[in-house]
Amino acid sequence: MLGKRVLIANRGEIAIRIAKALNELGLVSVGVWTDNEPEAAHLEYCQEWVHLSGNTNRDTYLNVPKILELIKKYKIDAVHPGYGFLSENGEFAKTLKAQGVIFIGPNPEAIAAMGDKAISKQWAQKAGVPVVPGSTGEVPTVEEAIKLCQTIGYPVLLKAVAGGGGKGMRPCYSDADVKTNFEAVQREALSSFGNAGLLVEKYVQNPHHIEVQILADKKGNVYHLFERECSIQRRHQKIIEEAPSPFIGEDTKLRKEICETAVKLAKAVGYDSAGTVEFIMGDDRKFYFLEMNTRIQVEHPITEEITGIDLLANMVKSAFNQPLDFKTQDDIKLHGHAIECRICAEDPVTMLPAPGKIAGFETTFPQGIRFDHCLYPKFTITPDFDPMVGKLIARGYDRAVAIRKVRAALDGLLLDGLKTNIPLLKVILDEESFKKGEYTTHYIAGVKPQERVAITEKPESLLVRVASVEMGQV
Amino acid sequence: MRYYFVDQDRKDTVVDLNKVETNGSISKFIFSEKTFYARRLAGKLFGSWDQQKWFKLTQLSAGETVVSNTVTYKMYRGFKPSGLFSGGAGALVTQMPGKVVKLFVKAGDTVEKGQTILILEAMKMENEIKAGVSGVVKSLLVQPGQALESGVLMAEIEE
Repeated sequence: MLGKRVLIANRGEIAIRIAKALNELGLVSVGVWTDNEPEAAHLEYCQEWVHLSGNTNRDTYLNVPKILELIKKYKIDAVHPGYGFLSENGEFAKTLKAQGVIFIGPNPEAIAAMGDKAISKQWAQKAGVPVVPGSTGEVPTVEEAIKLCQTIGYPVLLKAVAGGGGKGMRPCYSDADVKTNFEAVQREALSSFGNAGLLVEKYVQNPHHIEVQILADKKGNVYHLFERECSIQRRHQKIIEEAPSPFIGEDTKLRKEICETAVKLAKAVGYDSAGTVEFIMGDDRKFYFLEMNTRIQVEHPITEEITGIDLLANMVKSAFNQPLDFKTQDDIKLHGHAIECRICAEDPVTMLPAPGKIAGFETTFPQGIRFDHCLYPKFTITPDFDPMVGKLIARGYDRAVAIRKVRAALDGLLLDGLKTNIPLLKVILDEESFKKGEYTTHYIAGVKPQERVAITEKPESLLVRVASVEMGQV
Repeated sequence: MRYYFVDQDRKDTVVDLNKVETNGSISKFIFSEKTFYARRLAGKLFGSWDQQKWFKLTQLSAGETVVSNTVTYKMYRGFKPSGLFSGGAGALVTQMPGKVVKLFVKAGDTVEKGQTILILEAMKMENEIKAGVSGVVKSLLVQPGQALESGVLMAEIEE
């Protein structure tokens, strides 16, 4: 493995994270820069810098032929795709395998199995993993829908099969509701997604988004690194994540059950490398499989913080068929609590992306903070890339301590020049229901923390800015 | 020194820095209603209202954007900025990055208020930059083909 050349087919904070692992393991980290990001901060951690020509993601990070060319030209032995981009592109993984290049991620068959929502659900059912009760395919008529609803039990969700992002769904609480809504959902589905097909699923009340981190080697050993709860979301995008789940809390039996269920599924599809099995859990503490993410995830740091295990280093070791840092499941222990806040270039009230340029960047953090980012003063965040510019992670003795530390870290994170969600994160972390750990995926919509973000400006802060500029004039 | 903070609705907030006094490592900034202190420490910049309680400052430059929660300000030092589509006072300053396409005047020319001074290509559109006042072109600081950042002084017209 030593000296092998690994291409990081990604950018930003995850490229830095990957480079850290590669460098530490004695591999050669090869990073790319594109025409629309010539001063890519992640290159600081990369040993070799290679030009990936192009101005858009489609032309660069998503351009398989171009990347294959680079692989050939620079004699690349392995590729780490990060998250997003080509990380779950089964064809890319297959092509690399055929060319004898290692894909640092799961095998193509596992990617294919878990890549499709319907197919992955079937795998889960086969493996004996609970799935959200509902139709196995499209439901053509109201009568059939009602019959199904009576079997599953109300409330249910009428969902467009081609839908996504929370669109084309309607909850129904009775036969009458289904009669009223069936055709309406069909019409909505047809106009929004071009497909009138809909399915019926049990509507999980007060849902919690709970996911289990999986790490597997190439010898069929599959491990779990406990769970994360990611219920603070807006537009189905996570903004705060925690490990372990406050909802599961001290229920070690439930923790063991959900984590072992995730392992069962990963084993059933012959999984290797890192991945995450996502579940939805209702108030009744029953959990159902949602989907599996066959890649390293944004929120992986909180799992690293509570277990002390380097997920990226082990992901790389697994890919090169090297023994992992630990030997058995029992070696993986849960210690303390960790919280991650995603720092995004967006308006804290509307939560819409707000690209801009960083005028100034300073940090004064308490002990126990990890800040994974790609920021620097004068860095311009463009609409080309994701508005997430960093992840602020705090590890604490317990949940209350972790909250205390991450809240203090937010006070010590000075980012001037662009709008960020930092004021919104502060409101959420100060909120009683959050502090009690009582929240579901309906939190943002229900509690509306964005309405409590202060929008008035203290006139003194302008004077402070003037002094700062003057001090730089000397 | 006069500073202009222009918010997203093009409203100006003016801040007058009347005097700066330096005493050793501490600089004293005397504004109309308040006094602020700043100093460097270990390579970082710190500020204080009472020279006792100090807090870290970000290190800023003129012409940059500063933000308070949801309000975005463009901060100008010394010059009152003029709008990209309508003249302001005698100084023509870029409001966003752009490229100088064509100049219509040279230094010394007499111009009328509303007269097109130059064309700036920004956000894929050609924008006519017009004189906000009538007078003489005191200085023309740009050339055709030049790519400009936001907050750059392009020309000054003296009334």
